Parts: sequence; structure tokens; C-alpha cells
Amino acid sequence: MNDKSTWEFGTRQVVYGAIGAALYGVLSWVTNIFPLPAAGNITFRPAVAVLIFFGVAYGPWVGLLAGFIGNTLGDALSGWGFYWHWSLGSGIMGLVAGLVMTQISDFRAKDQIIKAAIYGLVGIIAGMLFASLMEKVVGGIDIKTALIGYFVPATIGNVVVVGILLPVLMIAFAAVASRRGR
Amino acid sequence: MSTHPLVIENLTFKYRTRPENAIENISLELKQGELLLIAGASGCGKSTLARCINGLIPRSYRGERRGKVLLHGKDVADLQIAEVAQTVGSLLQDPERQIVASNVFNEVAFGPENLGLPRGEIVERVDQALKRLNIEYLRDRETFNLSGGEKQKVALAGVLTMNPSILLLDEPLASLDPASAHEALEVFRSLADEGKTIVLIEHRVEDAIAIKPDRLLYMEGGKIQYLGAIDNLPKEIDYTQVKLPATWVVQRVKELNQAAETPTPLAVEERGEPLVVFEDVDFRYDEELPFVLKDVNLKIYAGDLIAVLGPNGAGKSTLVKHAIGLLKPTSGRVLVEGKDTRKMSVAQIARALGYVFQSPTHMLYAPTVREELEFGPKNLKYDSAEISKFVNESLSSVNLEEFVEYPPLALSFGQQKRTTIAAVLAMRSKILVMDEPTAGQDFANYTHFMNALCQPSDGAQSILSANFAATLFITHDVDLAVTYANRALVFGDKRIIADGKPQDVLKDTELLLKYRIRPTSLLKLNLDLLPKTGKFLPAEALAAYAS
Amino acid sequence: MLVAWKYRPRNTFIQRLDPRTRLIFLFCVIFGVSIPEIWDYRIVLPLFLVSLTLYLMARIAWKDVKRVWTYILILVVFIVGLNALLSARGGPSSVTNIVSPVIFTVPLKIPFTQLGWDIPVTVSKIWFSFNQMFRMLTMTLLAIPIPYTIDPNIYGTAFRQMGASDKVSFTMDLAFRFLPTFARDFSITMDAQRARGYELESMEGGIFSRIRRLAPLIIPVVMQSTVTGEEVIDAMDLRAFGTNRRTWLKDLKYAPRDYLILGLGIFIFVGCCVLRWGFGVGGYFVPDFFTNLFL
Repeated sequence: MNDKSTWEFGTRQVVYGAIGAALYGVLSWVTNIFPLPAAGNITFRPAVAVLIFFGVAYGPWVGLLAGFIGNTLGDALSGWGFYWHWSLGSGIMGLVAGLVMTQISDFRAKDQIIKAAIYGLVGIIAGMLFASLMEKVVGGIDIKTALIGYFVPATIGNVVVVGILLPVLMIAFAAVASRRGR
Repeated sequence: MSTHPLVIENLTFKYRTRPENAIENISLELKQGELLLIAGASGCGKSTLARCINGLIPRSYRGERRGKVLLHGKDVADLQIAEVAQTVGSLLQDPERQIVASNVFNEVAFGPENLGLPRGEIVERVDQALKRLNIEYLRDRETFNLSGGEKQKVALAGVLTMNPSILLLDEPLASLDPASAHEALEVFRSLADEGKTIVLIEHRVEDAIAIKPDRLLYMEGGKIQYLGAIDNLPKEIDYTQVKLPATWVVQRVKELNQAAETPTPLAVEERGEPLVVFEDVDFRYDEELPFVLKDVNLKIYAGDLIAVLGPNGAGKSTLVKHAIGLLKPTSGRVLVEGKDTRKMSVAQIARALGYVFQSPTHMLYAPTVREELEFGPKNLKYDSAEISKFVNESLSSVNLEEFVEYPPLALSFGQQKRTTIAAVLAMRSKILVMDEPTAGQDFANYTHFMNALCQPSDGAQSILSANFAATLFITHDVDLAVTYANRALVFGDKRIIADGKPQDVLKDTELLLKYRIRPTSLLKLNLDLLPKTGKFLPAEALAAYAS
Repeated sequence: MLVAWKYRPRNTFIQRLDPRTRLIFLFCVIFGVSIPEIWDYRIVLPLFLVSLTLYLMARIAWKDVKRVWTYILILVVFIVGLNALLSARGGPSSVTNIVSPVIFTVPLKIPFTQLGWDIPVTVSKIWFSFNQMFRMLTMTLLAIPIPYTIDPNIYGTAFRQMGASDKVSFTMDLAFRFLPTFARDFSITMDAQRARGYELESMEGGIFSRIRRLAPLIIPVVMQSTVTGEEVIDAMDLRAFGTNRRTWLKDLKYAPRDYLILGLGIFIFVGCCVLRWGFGVGGYFVPDFFTNLFL
């Protein structure tokens, strides 16, 4: 693998940003059509685990692009429309998770997986907080409504998904990366 | 200073991540309009050589490079990547991964767009390239819906718009069926005749020599073993590493005086009750869509080792998806062990019939090989004592015991392929169905894989005959049917065109050509010698009969 | 599983508009209403009618959007209702800190206990909820048609011509290129795992084990995509991606109709700001006729 630098933006970031976005978009679309059952208005979107993984593996630019474009694609495929603040919220999730990239050298190591999950958690909180607060400004709702109606359910769902699937993705990636000679 | 398009002098390269040199002391010169064929097994260094020529080394791949690669007299390392891109046009192995745009026009325009050329000139270049390859009719199509052969031509058009003087083609036939591969080769020849210098990397030497390359470079272990003409058979080439014409193999085996074992053909058992039955099966995805299968009748018996041949997109995969119940017939019925697949879930059918998909990467997911193999039996609710027994037995059948705690995603492609077979073995399915079992592997690897599956060794039964009552595989490689199958099906026009022993089905050359199946040198030689042999044999074994 | 875009070519005024116009207009309305906090029904209602007109002009068939509208209306009602319950007197903070007659009280108690609140429903609260609903729908009416009426192939060019860099804009196009490929990969993997007895539909256990059981579906596709990426990088580098300023084959040009809509958008944005901050008009108030209904 190439030497990592957090804010580099070249062909590599374009390609993985696009791949991450396409995966995030397709998976969001699938779970929009067949939602996983959940309590209240909590939605579990397995796509978020893939987004956080792309951030962790390929850095903040990839996370930002994959989140922003991916969420836009998912909403477009489902026919919901274009909601820029939720797309940007997804982008923030990926971006914050991507800040951990340079600290991850072994995708199998328990302490590094935990570190990645913590960045993912912070990313989710930051991203969902941004989107919910924008919803407050745009929709003119009360802060309590923004938190209870949007922030809490979205965050809980995403944290659960990432907690379960991010380690699995990282361990699988360690195996794949060991085959590559770059 | 030489003005040849490509001059390589004493080139040696070592990847940063590996201890040994990937290539060593490579020297060669290519004239304008020359077509060089580079052959060798995986790991012989041919891909590394390609990366040195197109400048990915030293730009994207780190390591130690010594020697020179001169493009029209200038070292590739000193040129800007944009200059290299306009001198060397690279066609990568899988056109699916080379195509970066959603529609054909944008794909072909991608390179000139990156160069920042004016719009008018880009449109002109795109139209020229499409016309040159006779694919103007694809101009407004979406790239996703193209066939493999069309994708390749579009990818090539995208390279030609950069006006390169050298074309570097890295295993361009890998994802094509034989008929499309032949068409692609003819295009390469005509481009060389127009003055392009062509480097063609291909382990299917038999196919590639049909277009008369000017020279052949054969590599082993990163070094040049042979560089020269191909009119007379070069001794330095190992016929087990690359695919040579059958007559060459026979000649070599005789010269070396190696007594090849004549494999004992699989015994065809008494035909009892059929295991799988297709009765007047018609199928279409939707009422508004045309039929994919029409009047299909087929019985699979114990002891069958069936090769299903036919053009890409004819419905071969649709046929086998009916056997596993992933698709249900629109009319007619499919019976597995006497039961209608409409009344069974896919999971129930899986106990009887195991399906190995083309690419192992489509199914491998678990952190260890053991967990991977337990996945199927657990889904089928076998009890846990049985599961561990089945898993261990299937691992030893495919010789992967030492990898049991290894992540399958870290295994080599061949090992992954065997893991997928073991995953089916562990479910105790009686019938094995494989889609393109050799896809993605080079000649040496897939021969090894197929031999291990189909041929008995040291008096023990083969993996297939010891574990499965019947096997069916889809392939577009006629030689697989010739070498391994005891029954061949030709599938085309939505139905089964021919069904019988390979020697009976494959002797009808006209019929084969009609369904885009190209007779190979091995098939021709076998047909010639059939009166003496009485059955189809691999090339090495034919040496005993050829005069 | 085939990706089906919602976009269809239609011969409408809306689809003849430059995609940039559409996006800029959307932002003008969103920010025009939300930044100066417009709550005056005399502004909200006309804006709602403008959005509704543009929505109807897009001529999207009702059957295509039925599901989406159902979902969105439920969400809007839920959020507006939740908001009314949670914010004690009227609506959010200072906007609705108006003393207003209480019509009735909703006792919100945890069952079998005395814990909870009494929620007073005021005239102001009801009026506010109406306003809020129309405000939200004004924006939704503009957001929904976008995927139905903008050609996916034009997004990259549109972003480029709105000032995004070559690389960011191309990421957009490349994502569109990969979308159908990955959708196909998911369905192949789904088939491959089903052939091994995997059943997504009848998954047992709680939500945690259900999410865990998605791994056999997600891992193969994601891991293969990471391998694919390495080759795509090479393929793009070899065709000089990122070496020069790119030419984009498609060239978007504003037509008079675009200036018309852009002008309307800017008029709305500037108008809202000027009214609110310059003249103090546009804030929240309960009109007398509405209060009188309850007296």
C-alpha cells in the first residue's frame, strides 16, 4: 500500500470515493425498500457500516465523498428526492471516521478496531447532529424535537450497525489486503 | 540513439514488499508495426514487465528499478504520465474494470477529456476510433449492458483515442468466449499491420499464434527463457505452463520420451433413476420479455460428468439456476430427486445439489476457512457433531487441512476455488454444479485444479467420483469438455441442441461453429485419432497414438 | 436486482431547465425561508403555491410517487405533532413565545404512574403547526422531483460547472458508473449464499443477530470492490486522469427560461431577507381571524 497521508486527494481517493458512494447508495436503497424491523422510528441502515469502513480504510476525503454522494444516490434511487443536509450529514460521518486512517496499520488488531469504532461513533454523532440541527433550522422545529425526532433514533440505529459490522469488515479487509503486493 | 518505439535494456525490478526480483535482466527491442507475444504462467513477471512499459512502475508501484525502458528513445521514468499515456495505450485484463463511464461515448472520450483537448477534436477522435473498430452502433449505449466482447472493443476504442504508437494488451482474452477472443485477435493483427507496435501478453498461446505474432517472448521466474520466431517449435517453452497447440504438445512429449499416463475414464454407472429431470421447461423473467429457455428436456444420471457448452448469453446459467431452484420454470417442471422444485425452498434443494458460482469472491466472507465451510451445513440445520465431521472430511478431500484457521479471503485464487468446492462438499450435496470452473485462472493453475477434481491419483478415486453422484459444469472452453467430461451438451437458441458423449457431440464442426464454439487443435487431433484411441484424451496421452 | 433510475425523459418546461437552475432555485427557497425565519402565512402560502405549481409542471405520474408521498406525509405529521407536544407554549423558542389561549390540555402520563406532563394545546400552537406543515411541504415539493427529472448522466457536469473541482465532479460520474455493477454483484452474492441454504427472509433471533447475519451478503461485495478499485486506479492513471484541466464533453448553457427561474429564486431569497430584516415583516404571529375561531 502507498504511504498514507490524511488529506491527499488523487486518483485513488476519486476511485474509492466513487466505489464507496455506489455501495452506500445501493445498500441504502435496498434497505429503504426492505427495511429491517425496528422499534419506533429507529432505522438500521447497514450501509452506514460500509461508509464508516471506507472512511477508516481510505481516509477523510473518501469518507466525505462516499457519504455525500452515496446518500444522494440512495435517496434518488428510492425516489425520495434530494435532501442536502442529510447527504452532508452522511459525508461528515465518513469524514470524521476517515481521520483515523493513518493510525490504522493492522485491521485485525483489537485495539485498532476499537479505535476505528470510536472515530466512527464520533463521526455518527457529528454527522447526525449536523443533519438534525439543520432540520431544526430548515423545518423550524424545537431543539427537543430535533433531538428526539431525528438525532437519537438515527444515531442509535447507526451506532448499532457500525458496532456489529465494522469489525467484521475490518477483519475481512485485513485478509484481502494481505494478498495485495502494492 | 535508437529510434525504435520500444527499447528495454537490462531491466530488473524488485517490489518494495517482496524479497526477490520480479523481473531480471530483460532486454528487447521492438520495431514499428511489430507484434510481440509474451507468454508465461502466473508469477513469471509478465505483468511486472507490462507495468514497467506503461509507466505504472516506477510511478504507482514502489520498488527498485534498474536498467532502462525507452519509448522512442526517452526513458519512461523521465516522461510525464500524460506523455506516456499518448505513447503506450494499455488494455487491462478485465474490460469491466477499465471502463469508467456509464455510456460508450463518454468512455471512449475519457482519455482525450483528461488531456484537456478541445471538444470538437475529442468528438472527432471518438468517432474515428468507433469507426476503426466497427462499433459505431454502440455509440449511445450504456456500458453496463454491453457483452464481454463489446466491452473489450469499447475499452480498446478508449485507448485508441489517445493515438498511442504502442499498444500493450495484458491478457485481453481472459474474459472473452472463444469466438469473441478470435475476433479481438484479428483486430490486434490489423492494428499491427497499420503500423502500431503491439505487445500482447497472453497465456493462451494456441489462440494467439493464430494471428502470427512476429516474435514470442517466453518468461519463467522473471527471466527471458526464449525470445525469437515461432515458426519452429521453441524447446524452451514448458507445455504445462502455457496453452500450446495440441500438435506441439504431442511433438514435445515424444521428444522428451515421457510416457504419459492414460487416464482411466470415469465409469458410467448403470442408468438408474435420474437425479435431476427437466420436463418441457420454458422460462422467461417477465411476461413482456422473450423466453430464455424453451422446451428444455434433460435428465441427469448418477455417474454423469457433463460439460455444458454454448455461446455467452445463451441461457446456460439460467438453465442451471433452475436446477438449484433459484429460478422456477414458467411452464413445465424441474424435478430434483423426484421432487418438484416449485414445492421446495432453495435451502432444501441445496441438500441434494450444490452450486459453485464462477467467482469465489462472490461467496467467501468468513474469518476462517472452518467457519466458511460451516456456513452451509449450519443453514441446513445439520447437527453440530455432523457438521464438524463433514467440514473436516471436505477439507481433506481438497487438501486444505493446513488452512483451516486461515482467512479464506487471504488465500490464493486457486485455493479459494477449492474452498468453494469444499463448501459444497460440507453440505453433503450429491450433485455438483460449477459455473465456468476455470475462469480467472491461468492455464497451469486450472489444469492443476481440474486434474485434482476429475482425475484419480495413486489408485484413489478422484474428488468428484468419491464425493458426488454427478457433476455438471458450464464452460466455453471446448478442451475442458474434451479432456474431462463423459457427456457434452450444446446449448443455444434457448434449448439443448445436442446431448451425448463428447466424441459424438463435438465431431459436428459445423454445428459447433453455428453456436460460436471454436474447435480447438486438441479437438481436431482427437477427432483425427479417434479411430485409434476410441475416446477423447488429453494432449499428452495422444502422443502414444500420433504418428 | 436491477438499478432502475427514476429519471425519464419528459418534454416539460421543468426538464428543459438547466440542472444548475433547479438546484440553485431549491437552495434559494430553503435558505430564503429558513435563514430569516419566515413564519408569516402571507409569505409561506404563496411560496407553497409556487412550489406546487412547479411540482405539477414536472408531470410526474402519481403512481410513481404515491409511496414516497405517503411516507413523507406521515413523517411530516409525526414531526409537527411531536414538535407541538414537546414545545411547551407554542413552537420553537422565541418565534412563538406568545401568550395564547389554551383550548384544551393533553395529559401525557406514563401509564399507571403520576409521572409526566400536562400539555396545553393553545391556539398559537395549532396555527404554528399548520404553518410549519406548509413550510415543510414547500421545500419537499421542490426536493422530490429532482431524481425524477434530472438525467443522472448530467450530475458530474453540473457540479463541475457550479465550481466543484474536476476530481470531485468525476467522482460523481464514476459512482453512477459503479452503481449498476454493485447492484448486480449483490444479487449474484445473494444467489450464491442462497445456494448454501442462506435465507434472508426467515432470519431468526433479535435485531442484533439479524444485522450480524447480513455479513455473508455485504462482505463479499465490499471486499471485491476494494480489489476492483486498485485496477480502476491503474486504468485511470494510464489514461492521464488528473494530469491536465479536464475538458467536459457536455457543456451546460443557461437559456432565457433559466434566467427567469433563477431570477425568481433570487427574488424570493432577497425578498424574504429584506422583508424580515429591513421591514420586520414575516415573523410569526397568530392572525386575529384564526384566534376568533376559538373564542
